[in-house]
Amino acid sequence: MENNQQQGAQAQSGPYPGGAGGSAGAGAGAGAAPFQHLLQQQQQQLQMFWSYQRQEIEHVNDFKNHQLPLARIKKIMKADEDVRMISAEAPILFAKACELFILELTIRSWLHADENKRRTLQKNDIAAAITRTDIFDFLVDIVPRDEIKDDAALVGATASGVPYYYPPIGQPAGMMIGRPAVDPATGVYVQPPSQAWQSVWQSAAEDTPYGTGAQGNLDGQSMEF
Amino acid sequence: MDQDVQDRALPIANVGRIMKQILPPSAKISKEGKQLMQECVTEFISFVTGEASDKCHKENRKTVNGDDICWALSSLGFDNYAEAIGRYLHIYRQGEREKINHTKKYENPQNQTQINRAPPPPLLLSRVENPPPTNQSG
Repeated sequence: MENNQQQGAQAQSGPYPGGAGGSAGAGAGAGAAPFQHLLQQQQQQLQMFWSYQRQEIEHVNDFKNHQLPLARIKKIMKADEDVRMISAEAPILFAKACELFILELTIRSWLHADENKRRTLQKNDIAAAITRTDIFDFLVDIVPRDEIKDDAALVGATASGVPYYYPPIGQPAGMMIGRPAVDPATGVYVQPPSQAWQSVWQSAAEDTPYGTGAQGNLDGQSMEF
Repeated sequence: MDQDVQDRALPIANVGRIMKQILPPSAKISKEGKQLMQECVTEFISFVTGEASDKCHKENRKTVNGDDICWALSSLGFDNYAEAIGRYLHIYRQGEREKINHTKKYENPQNQTQINRAPPPPLLLSRVENPPPTNQSG
């Protein structure tokens, strides 16, 4: 459990390979630029997602209607024999937390599908997102082994064979997942646009000529096999 | 997934609907993808509940509350979730407090202005003296 906690903490605040702030490490070839740009862009999308969700929460005023049924959430909680009583607020919080969980895992899965130039989100995309993200370690037993194996062969190297690298020590580590982007000039948090999330995908599609099938651990954690 | 397991999972239609919200309009989701996501989110609830429940057990409390869930999320490394849900809980509790205060205000007779109205007139039941004869031919 402690190990999981440490990994989780790293996953959301650890240095990001080839992050926006840091210069490329020694020995990084010119081929790293497109890959770095792709990862940076994926990072920004996740960052925007969390900023947007925080904004949405500030404007919530309806706690009666939820996208997931509270009774079913309570039933899943009650399946744990140690759980005796559940406060009324617990399933309400879980309804929101589960919504965020589904959205985040879907984004991460879509990034994998998009790298492979597919428009259909498949089981193996979700499996890839799980193996790339340390906080989702608790799900590895759910993911079929063959799905993990397929992705594991590709994780850690891109289509162009560029390995991961971290910014040199002393350099800024780049962006952090889930923290609002800060404008370096003003030091003010940059708020995401309040328009629909769909615009993020459109702008990403326009900006990215790099559909190179690059595989990356978005949390900057080295993978162990 | 058999029916018994399905009853212990979140509805796949709801899960699919949430997934679609964040994807571009042209994107599709395979049935297997939805099923895997359904399993993942069910496991997420169990995982966080287990951690929250352990905390309650150690503190000799019987009820798992919102603070326990926020603590569990943070403890398990879900920092973004803990932050967002903590804020969500704060807003929820604020709303509940306002609701209670509002109810008290209107239930308390001291706060209500008594309007002395004349009692309504008694209901006049007009009794029909001579009811029309019923046609009993037959």
